[in-house]
Amino acid sequence: MATFHTVHQGRFHVHTLPTDQFRTRHLVAKLVTPISRPSVTPTALLPYLWLEGTRSYPSALAITRRTDDLFGAVLRSGIGKRADRHIAEVYLSVPEEGRLEGAAGVFEEGLRLMLEAVTDPLVEGDGFAKGHVERERGLHRRRIESVFDDKIAWAMERALAEALAGLPEGLPRLGYAEDLDAVTPDGLYAAHRRFLQEAEVHLYAIGAFGDPSALAERLLTAWSSAIRQAGVDGADRSASGPVEPVPVRGGEPKRVVDAQPVQQGKLNLVYRTGIPYRADEYPALLVANGILGGFPHSKLFQNVREKASLAYYASSRVDALSGLVLIQTGIDPVHRDRAEAIIVEQVRALQQGEVTDDELSFTKRGLVNQYRQSLDVPAAVADIHFGGVLAGRVRAMDELMDAILAVERQDVVAAANRLQLDTVYFLRGEEGNANA
Amino acid sequence: MREHKDPRLGHVLYQETLDNGLNVYLLPKPGFQQTFATFTTHYGSVDSTFRTGGDEDFITVPDGIAHFLEHKMFESEHGDVFRDFARHGASANAYTTFDITSYLFSSTQDVYENLEILLDFVQDPYFTDENVAKEKGIIAQEIRMYDDNPDTRVFYGLLKALYHVHPVRMDIAGTVESIQRIDKETLYRCYRTFYHPSNMVLFAVGGFDPESAMDVIRTNQARKSFSEMPRIERDRPKEPPSVNHPRAEARLAVHQPRCLIGWKDPDPMPAGPQILERELVTGVVLDVLFGRSSDLFDELIGEGLIDQQFSWEYERTPEYGYSVVGGNTPDPDALAERIERHLERARNEGLDAEAFERCRRKSIGRFMAALDSPSYIARHFASYLFRGADLFQTVEILERLTLADADRRLREHLLPERRAVSVVLPKQA
Repeated sequence: MATFHTVHQGRFHVHTLPTDQFRTRHLVAKLVTPISRPSVTPTALLPYLWLEGTRSYPSALAITRRTDDLFGAVLRSGIGKRADRHIAEVYLSVPEEGRLEGAAGVFEEGLRLMLEAVTDPLVEGDGFAKGHVERERGLHRRRIESVFDDKIAWAMERALAEALAGLPEGLPRLGYAEDLDAVTPDGLYAAHRRFLQEAEVHLYAIGAFGDPSALAERLLTAWSSAIRQAGVDGADRSASGPVEPVPVRGGEPKRVVDAQPVQQGKLNLVYRTGIPYRADEYPALLVANGILGGFPHSKLFQNVREKASLAYYASSRVDALSGLVLIQTGIDPVHRDRAEAIIVEQVRALQQGEVTDDELSFTKRGLVNQYRQSLDVPAAVADIHFGGVLAGRVRAMDELMDAILAVERQDVVAAANRLQLDTVYFLRGEEGNANA
Repeated sequence: MREHKDPRLGHVLYQETLDNGLNVYLLPKPGFQQTFATFTTHYGSVDSTFRTGGDEDFITVPDGIAHFLEHKMFESEHGDVFRDFARHGASANAYTTFDITSYLFSSTQDVYENLEILLDFVQDPYFTDENVAKEKGIIAQEIRMYDDNPDTRVFYGLLKALYHVHPVRMDIAGTVESIQRIDKETLYRCYRTFYHPSNMVLFAVGGFDPESAMDVIRTNQARKSFSEMPRIERDRPKEPPSVNHPRAEARLAVHQPRCLIGWKDPDPMPAGPQILERELVTGVVLDVLFGRSSDLFDELIGEGLIDQQFSWEYERTPEYGYSVVGGNTPDPDALAERIERHLERARNEGLDAEAFERCRRKSIGRFMAALDSPSYIARHFASYLFRGADLFQTVEILERLTLADADRRLREHLLPERRAVSVVLPKQA
């Protein structure tokens, strides 16, 4: 099975995966720093500002027209968060040149544009261009606000903010709307240069490359020198160890209720496990979560939805790097207590080893199917590898799948018993609302 | 089994129509781990009034029943169908649109077993009073979830504004009230009418051997007996060409208003390749006018009237067609006004030739890239087939598209008298 080949130079890492499976070539840049309260909002703005304009393509419009001309190449950016790391991402995909007339060289052109966006943005004086900062100030405010408008996402964001209050893991990926008034073109540009000086930089190249090792060396040289030049003083300052899971804490779970004029209530439960991604018991945690709520055959779907008819969705997932298990469901608010009792009962059953042979084998097969399918999606292959890099243990896809298949009932029970209920969050309708 | 080689797209598509009328298409994709298969009936939420050959009268069924039926297919006499797929490592799902219902799985192992499970469960309805009653609670929560979703609400609001009587104006899942009227007898009647193999398509794409897959499907179908092919007659109220209401409004617990502007095609259009041609030319027109590389997009972002969610789409079936443009905006009426002024100029001056060429090439590149996604292909292939069109003609149609075609389309379609606006505003606290 295909695996990445990696070359390093200090904090710069290039991972290549040559394959002729796709009609597109992909390059993903992931620039990582620890997330922190003072820098959260400026850092979150950076990847969006990068696509507002470069020295050669001085506006968002010029960049978009350039990529359109490259046969609809896609150049996108965004901000991500994995546990306590803040990750600025830029993503490029370009149609395979051989299949389109007149498309020779489009990948090279795309690469050049992408590197320029990150390292040579349009500057006025000592800052980003004023107009670009103004546009992004407004757009970013709306990015933050739109989380509120999506009640499923909002309820999970609120649950996590409560569960992780005071921890860097609890900071919102996009930062805070109230910080936006204070950002300036000069301040953001300084933040940009600091970021480039401190970030760990990972590049993923996936596609039909003629000479992948030459490409890797070329990318490594081009990106490391351009990023060092664009940093504060050309020196590297990166120092961060592997990501650790959120530590478990004792005591009673936190209970939080919000009210909004909504039709459907959202009941979310956050569990801490303290199990790190790199641990040998991590695959057992994946299986335990799968049995609990990862699939339609799982306990939550079967009991909350199919038996009690209370919800359309009822599921759980593992946040791999923070070691959290997150349960979410949408219910009629009048059924809140019943739904919570059923959910808690499913976790208890799992912890006491009430796991059938079918549940165990279906879940293992389902997880393996998900990992194998991800091999068909370039961005997913890169993400899974990258999670391993951050956690300090890269498992080859085969290794991870073998480990899942080797999980036994007692491993599942042991992992399930690491689940500690941390926070119960409920979003309900308002008083006077018929559905409150 | 017939073979259609497409050297341009670099694939071979296999096709066979079985004795029972089922149309099977197989698209092997060497190198891919997964196989993605869909079993699709030409039956969606708009098929609410119908009769078959033997019936005297048309029957009108409750709104949301096609979607309800889709849910109920996953329960069989021996239990839950998800477990059958889970046993073979497959992930299964289904969805209902205005005009189709599609059942699907994706798996990286046991592909032939999973193909049989797919065929068997969709061809074995099992409805009881109890399991129908139980589903009402689940679907009611699905509807409530969408009730709180501003993007869904503003979209359905637009269709209600555009259409007077055509059932495309009704939510696909129906309403919490309409689904209460669904019972097992009506479900069986819908099933018998629309789930005959001759009204269905099986499509599979991914890493499998086409000969073996076709054998499995052939043998499976030959084992079963079906009634004669029903002659389905769908009855539609006559939809006037005009829009129903120029403006629709709803209030929700959101920070940002939403605004969608829609234009209605007044003409029915027979099923055939022209449906895809119409979609592609309209898509390029909309991309030139409203896409991310348009002057307007850039200006509206600069003025703070839109954000990056601003987008367009065009949908065309033989019965109806509409364009939609819009997204989040602080001032829906100002946005609608700006767009109308922009269109007025475009209708007078025509589209910019350079922008047209850029968008046409982009569409070709994006389609080629989408072919890397088995799920994209699987989700679109059957849908176009029922509309008489071949998804894989996309590139050749785009290649012969001209600026004159695009200008003509702009001037006949994006007209103020065919337009409605739908807005969602923040609910006052």
